[in-house]
Amino acid sequence: MKVRILLADDHEIVRRGLCSLLQKHEGWEVCGEASDGREAVEMAKHLKPDVVIVDIGMPHLNGLDTTRQLLQHDPQFKVIVLTITDSDQVIREALDAGARGFVLKSDAARDLVSAVEALQSKRMFFTPRVNDLVLAGFLEKGHAISRNEPPNLPTLTAREREVTQLLAEGKSSKEVATVLNLSTKTVETHRSNIMRKLSLHSIRDLVVYAIKNNIIQIQMPPRIHRTEETTVA
Amino acid sequence: MPVRILLVDDHPIVRQGLRTLLEGRSGWEVVGEASDGIEALDKVQTLQPDVVVLDVTMPGMNGLEACRLIQRRQKTSGLEVLFVTQHDSPQMMREALDAGARGYVVKSNAARDLLEAVEAVSQHRVFTALARSPHASC
Repeated sequence: MKVRILLADDHEIVRRGLCSLLQKHEGWEVCGEASDGREAVEMAKHLKPDVVIVDIGMPHLNGLDTTRQLLQHDPQFKVIVLTITDSDQVIREALDAGARGFVLKSDAARDLVSAVEALQSKRMFFTPRVNDLVLAGFLEKGHAISRNEPPNLPTLTAREREVTQLLAEGKSSKEVATVLNLSTKTVETHRSNIMRKLSLHSIRDLVVYAIKNNIIQIQMPPRIHRTEETTVA
Repeated sequence: MPVRILLVDDHPIVRQGLRTLLEGRSGWEVVGEASDGIEALDKVQTLQPDVVVLDVTMPGMNGLEACRLIQRRQKTSGLEVLFVTQHDSPQMMREALDAGARGYVVKSNAARDLLEAVEAVSQHRVFTALARSPHASC
């Protein structure tokens, strides 16, 4: 029986690369592709894949919240998180969200097949670079995996996290209402509650909060150094 | 028209995605890959591609620096640089064109824009496309 895999990444180029990698493996099939977290959750409910691979940094619903929603719907879903960063906080959040695999995008060509194989054998998989970090974290702090609210955001509901992401992405309350199929008034209420709970005073504060807590991700442009020609050996 | 392409991106999975897109076009050949700017300079020298598809943010030497050096060293070869990048920014695009690139497309729309972009820059036409604006080619 084929292993059915759902891919969720907002870049079609990345999905093509992942497809190409995974479909070389006999017996594996990419059964669907989603370009944002919301689409991924709907497709997973319909397609019931064996493994879901989610990018952390997706619009509308990020990979961590996608993972939470998938597992709330069905705890049997096996999720691998793909990320460009191996920060301690991101690793912890991915585990707390219920992901069973954690792969750096830069290592995906090397590690993703092993990750899917591990999950199919009911094992967890961490890209080797983060393995020691995870073990050290668990030994030092006796960290318990929880599938409920992430420890850094104890006061926001799942819906409030969704609204936070969409507002931080620059959407108006009206646009958020359209995405979430809510009334604008309801979104405004969520917005007020979020700002009050987190003691924030502006959208700028909200954006900073969302970045610090991995609700949205940004990529910094490189520093431009205009130097004389570099001598390359 | 045959086009020889060098792919430069620090993520192998992105290079694989670009490759599957480009190799679908008859006569186009991906002649090599590099994972940072320094390796790119070396492979430009040895492989003499027509087009270098280049990421901006890479470890070691970033794409902008690499582009400047490539253009300085390959002045008469007719080689063109096309940036394919996460940075959906008019300012970054201007930096890229100032560095000597002929094209600039954003990764989120690479599947839509890449083939047209490579076609344009291989014919020495400028091609730029940010995510929220229509492409410009001249």
